[in-house]
Amino acid sequence: MKIEIRGEEIILDKERAIFLPNEKLLAISDLHLGKAAHFRKAGLAVPNSISQSDLSRLSVLLHQYQPTTLLINGDMFHSDYNTEIDEFAKWRQEFNDIEFILVKGNHDRQKKEIYENLAIEIYEPNYETNNFCFIHDVAHCKSELYAISGHIHPGISIYNKAKQRLKFPCFYFGEDYSILPAFSAFTGLQLVKPKMPDQVFAITPSKVIKL
Amino acid sequence: MQKTKGYKQIISWLKADKKKPFDFQKETWQHYLDGYSGLVNAPTGFGKTFSVFLAVVIEGLNQPKPVKGLQLIWITPLRSLAKDIARAMREVLLEIGLDWHVGVRNGDTSQAEKLQQKKAMPEILLITPESLHLLLAQKGSTSIFKNLNCIVADEWHELLGSKRGVLVELALSRIKGLQKANGNQILRVWGISATIGNIQEALDVIVPETDAKKIIVKAKLEKKIEIKTILPEKIETLPWAGHLGLKLAHKLIPIIEKSKTTLIFINTRGQSEIWYQHLLDIEPDLAGRIAIHHGSIDFELRNWIEDSLHSGLLKAVIATSSLDLGVDFKPVDTVVQIGSPKGVARFLQRAGRSGHSPNEISKIYFLPTHALEIVEAAAIKEAARENNIESREPFVMVFDTLIQYLVTLAVGDGFDDKIIYQEIIQTNAFKELLPEEWAWAMQFITSGGDSLTAYNEFKKVVKDDDGLWKVKSRQIAMRHRLHIGTIVSDAMLKVKFLSGGYIGMVEEYFVSKIKAGDSFILAGRVLEFVQIKDMTVIVRRSKQKKAMSPSWLGGRLPLSSNLGAVLRKKYNEVLDKKHQDEELDTVYPLFLIQQERSHVPRNDELLIEMINNREGFHLFAYPFEGRLVHEILGALVAYRLSKLVPITFSIAMNDYGFELLSDTEIPMDDAIAYEVFSPVNLAEDITLSINSTEMARRKFRDIACISGLVFQGYPGKYVKNKHLQSSAGLFFNVFNDFDKHNLLLRQSYEEVFYQQLEEPRLAAALHRIQNSNIVITYPKRFTPLSFPIKVDSLRANMSSEELEQRIERMKKEVFK
Repeated sequence: MKIEIRGEEIILDKERAIFLPNEKLLAISDLHLGKAAHFRKAGLAVPNSISQSDLSRLSVLLHQYQPTTLLINGDMFHSDYNTEIDEFAKWRQEFNDIEFILVKGNHDRQKKEIYENLAIEIYEPNYETNNFCFIHDVAHCKSELYAISGHIHPGISIYNKAKQRLKFPCFYFGEDYSILPAFSAFTGLQLVKPKMPDQVFAITPSKVIKL
Repeated sequence: MQKTKGYKQIISWLKADKKKPFDFQKETWQHYLDGYSGLVNAPTGFGKTFSVFLAVVIEGLNQPKPVKGLQLIWITPLRSLAKDIARAMREVLLEIGLDWHVGVRNGDTSQAEKLQQKKAMPEILLITPESLHLLLAQKGSTSIFKNLNCIVADEWHELLGSKRGVLVELALSRIKGLQKANGNQILRVWGISATIGNIQEALDVIVPETDAKKIIVKAKLEKKIEIKTILPEKIETLPWAGHLGLKLAHKLIPIIEKSKTTLIFINTRGQSEIWYQHLLDIEPDLAGRIAIHHGSIDFELRNWIEDSLHSGLLKAVIATSSLDLGVDFKPVDTVVQIGSPKGVARFLQRAGRSGHSPNEISKIYFLPTHALEIVEAAAIKEAARENNIESREPFVMVFDTLIQYLVTLAVGDGFDDKIIYQEIIQTNAFKELLPEEWAWAMQFITSGGDSLTAYNEFKKVVKDDDGLWKVKSRQIAMRHRLHIGTIVSDAMLKVKFLSGGYIGMVEEYFVSKIKAGDSFILAGRVLEFVQIKDMTVIVRRSKQKKAMSPSWLGGRLPLSSNLGAVLRKKYNEVLDKKHQDEELDTVYPLFLIQQERSHVPRNDELLIEMINNREGFHLFAYPFEGRLVHEILGALVAYRLSKLVPITFSIAMNDYGFELLSDTEIPMDDAIAYEVFSPVNLAEDITLSINSTEMARRKFRDIACISGLVFQGYPGKYVKNKHLQSSAGLFFNVFNDFDKHNLLLRQSYEEVFYQQLEEPRLAAALHRIQNSNIVITYPKRFTPLSFPIKVDSLRANMSSEELEQRIERMKKEVFK
């Protein structure tokens, strides 16, 4: 799905990512790496394969779009250091030629050296391109540019007269800012209530649909 | 026995009070002293408590020198029961002069008292199933049960049909195991139960060993019950559904006035609040003389109400199931049931709250909340007359409860998996547990996942140097203790006055929807929401007179199949006018409307109504099998219809029938009707239809909490839970996508199958329908039967369309 915001083209991918062809930049938000391991450490049985699956989805995207930059719009690592970060480090090697940018979110509390070792450049509180300001939580945005945020894990619910209801993760594009869906599959949804003329794009297992 | 010191002492004590033991009590004493376990079945008000309790006392008195230490564990399902029974027991012990202590241990017990108990256990301990498991979760707990003589499960019929019954089974298996390890086999287990349809099974669940000495002691006593329905003057004054029967409230006032004390039972906490307000509105003189009692009201307040009930201070108390069970309030001479009790056993149980003494008559009034419930009243009367009482089906193979139990043991003194496996497969709940299922449960708490996909860094239960499985992390242990139990509710928050003083609890979900300044009612008071602080809801008194009532989720009971059958029969009788029931005369006009617009289904008919209107295309069907069966039947019929054409349904149901609603036309004729209600290929079609609705996902909500995947929190006790927020739904998705073999996931489907679906009941219903006439009508408007379903808000979805197509169609509708 291609859309245009402030005159710049944005591609919305059903794998919960956006690509800016002008900047050759792929952006995702709320990766929450290490969340499953954090749960396991606390005695809650969450399968390993969930973070492996997140990373392999990201690999596919990187191969498909061939970006020069991968931007993670906050909440890259869920909590304290754990083995899933080691796995990420190994995975990172394959994409050494791609620049990784992290716009810090409320969960990103690792030591500076850890990001340095993983070759991740840190931006706080935001990262700006020509037209856009990437920021984790739009509530803290002071930029004049159109904000692209994450943080809330947006979802949309649609109804019809026969009382049927469907719920999906979504991309939200309002007048002044947008919200990206959470990339990780191990995240919940917070429903957004769009107003005119906001644009909302539901993400189904097979494609992105404009509502 | 008659020659023993203890027996003589008891008899002379009773004589001094001009009393004589009932035969069933003497029988129980004899069997107990002979080393039997068993089940006492007697109506309420005839001293069930004294049957087993005095047996233990007699044995105690017979000892040459007084025995000390824990002798008797008395399991009660309700906290309010424990206090009451403890009081009665203490009185007896004091009068007889046996120096035994009676302790109470449950969620309301203070920390200081628990510590005291730890130092020196009382001889008799009254405890809930949850607190018994908490006891097992304590270090050093295994030594307390050494000299235990008897465990009693009081109100066993109430525990039997729930996962709490499984908690009892598991705790029993452990305590027996501990005694065996000490070379001790003195323990006897007794259940005390009201009459249920499967009394033999009730015994076999609590005493599962086939070679055990066990017996059922049945009291040959009958409780007289008088049932009266409160009828409207004219049927039009009663709305069709969705209301609370408030229009009949004025008829309650004279009943309250002429009775000494009245207990008014209402099915949900939210409705009880509304009724309390309403009664005060129409009769202000009742202020200060009526009270409200339910599980979300603060402990102190409930205590006060119960004490006032004993002393006869209160004219009436509005209660939910919180006062259902055997509490003996002497002044209560009248009971009112508002709305359908949904089952005969529950209705009789509640009736038994009045006229509690032997030979007194129990008086109960039934106040219907909508017109069709009047028919239910007639059905209940007939079922009660014929003693047509439901069975309580015990839960089996509940992995969530098993996993919780294993972690409980690991939090306590640790466990040896070989020994525990042997104990567990002796229980009724897990007698069919396969070795590989046991291995999975052990892996789930030790390494996570199954053998192929051990989880990295998973830490919960580990093997200690002494070879026992233990929980080492203090944090995990604390979190586990806080959520032992199988009653799952939404996270609850305590409600407290700004000026101090607790009022009760509300669900976090409810608080999340209100803002500062909004008012709501709780414990009969109108409160203004100020803020949430330290996980407590701070309120002040509101000046408003009316406010919304919080809705507590859960608590919607389905109609039992016994009652359903009698109900179908009553429907036949209404139009015949050959009956004795005044209730049926009252609803006659309504049935005329039903007949005029559509059809009144007879016993050998299934009515299907097809109604088109602005909302869409409706299909209503009325099998009268209860809400839970209708949910599955609705899904099944929807699934089969959706195989004929691509179509999407939303499904709604109540106890009488179900509705399928679609925005495209529903194919229907005689041939299709018989086909979609066919018992052929049932198992397969049900599996497919359950998979495509959300039923299993909903069951998983409880399973995730019980097995400890989702931490539900604890009222007033906030545990720091950083970065561990998640939901049952998320886990359901994760397991579905990444760990298909997870047994908890399988359990959620099986619970739909076996507990909710009651497969035999569904198959029987479909066979009945096959042999019936299916009558299809096309009413122009909603009918008295269809309207109550239409307004029901519980809905599920079923679709055979492509997702994208559905969205496209829904989009067009929203934006046109």
